[in-house]
Amino acid sequence: MCAVLAAEVAGAVLAQYWPILLFMAVAAGLGMALLTIGLVVAPRRPAAQKLSPYECGFEAFEDARMKFDVRYYLIAILFIIFDLEIAFLFPWAVVFDRIGLVALIEMVLFIALLVVGFIYIWKKGALEWE
Amino acid sequence: MITLAHYIVLGAVLFCIAVAGIFINRKNVIVLLMAIELMLLAVNINFIAFSRFFGDVAGQVFVFFILTVAAAESAIGLAILTLLFRNRRTINVAEFDDLRG
Amino acid sequence: MTIQLLAFYFFAFFAVLGALLVITLRNPVHAVLSLVLTFFSVACIWMLMQAEFLALVLIVVYVGAVMVLFLFVVMMLDIKVAAAREGFIRHLPVGIGVALIMLAEMVTLIGLRAMQVAPPPNPAAMHGESNVAWIGTALYTQYLLPFEVAAMILTVGIVAAVALTLRHRVGVRHQNASQQVAAVARDRVRLVSMPAERGDPGAQP
Repeated sequence: MCAVLAAEVAGAVLAQYWPILLFMAVAAGLGMALLTIGLVVAPRRPAAQKLSPYECGFEAFEDARMKFDVRYYLIAILFIIFDLEIAFLFPWAVVFDRIGLVALIEMVLFIALLVVGFIYIWKKGALEWE
Repeated sequence: MITLAHYIVLGAVLFCIAVAGIFINRKNVIVLLMAIELMLLAVNINFIAFSRFFGDVAGQVFVFFILTVAAAESAIGLAILTLLFRNRRTINVAEFDDLRG
Repeated sequence: MTIQLLAFYFFAFFAVLGALLVITLRNPVHAVLSLVLTFFSVACIWMLMQAEFLALVLIVVYVGAVMVLFLFVVMMLDIKVAAAREGFIRHLPVGIGVALIMLAEMVTLIGLRAMQVAPPPNPAAMHGESNVAWIGTALYTQYLLPFEVAAMILTVGIVAAVALTLRHRVGVRHQNASQQVAAVARDRVRLVSMPAERGDPGAQP
């Protein structure tokens, strides 16, 4: 009896994801269709001049491995931390009704701790794009 | 029907691939860090599988904390890596031997 | 073979393929992208286990943030691939040997027969709630202290990363918007009154 129930539930689980599969199929199909149409319809007249450096003097095709600046890295780190903070907020919001005041107090404490870090980076000037 | 063994074996396979990666990429710190991420992922699969099959929420809560700690860990690890590269111009582990007696 | 098992093998195949590519690819950018593939496939497998919340957190936090961080670091350090690959072939047999032995040990230890357990009904649904509510209730009642400790760890993470990598450049000219807005004509233009003078008639106009 329990196994039958489990099988039914399990079948229902995948059925929930049919819209997503459909969405992905449509997205992939649309993407490929547009590329194919572009490939078929677009006029192609290759010329050496088209690939030559243009006004600002950038090479049209060169190594993509440009060196990134460390500032991007700092922003990415700050993004990770606050991303995780948001991830903690979601289940909190869902169960807030059930837990009540205690949940509010603990989340205030949580955010307060992170605000300490936030004030530190602000004062330190890590948010300035100098 | 997917049994518990499927998930556990998948976790074991990913973990062993990560161990092999640490062995064969001993010189490249970035790949070492990625192998560690893979190991954590393999462990997380086990946690979630047992949590699901035993109906115990502790496993999933623990995975959440592992994800948190691992994200902070990789942020600091990569910061240290950046500093090392800035000072030594290399990511080869064999060349970080200043503490050798 | 049910469609669910088929889905499991599909995602597991891509997870293992991505993991193998991570440790063998020559180009670190490609290795990071393969790791993204692995994380994504594993997130799908977690969805099969009805751990929806963690699957989404894995995608949002790991694929969306941590892997981007890895990508930035790879792009930031221009690494000479050849030097980093030194010893790859030499360590290959050892690595594969150790991994295979470990896998054999693990699988024996797991005992495949003992683990042929059919999945029970979704525990969250048994309580009549969603996976997020199931985790959230436990997280914000039983696991209060770990939750606050997580905040401490995140704060330490921010402070450490900023303290380690932040370098202020010298000699950068900043635009100070508030100063610009607060500026008045008096600061910029000085009006002076001078007595008019008659020009020298012999000089050139």
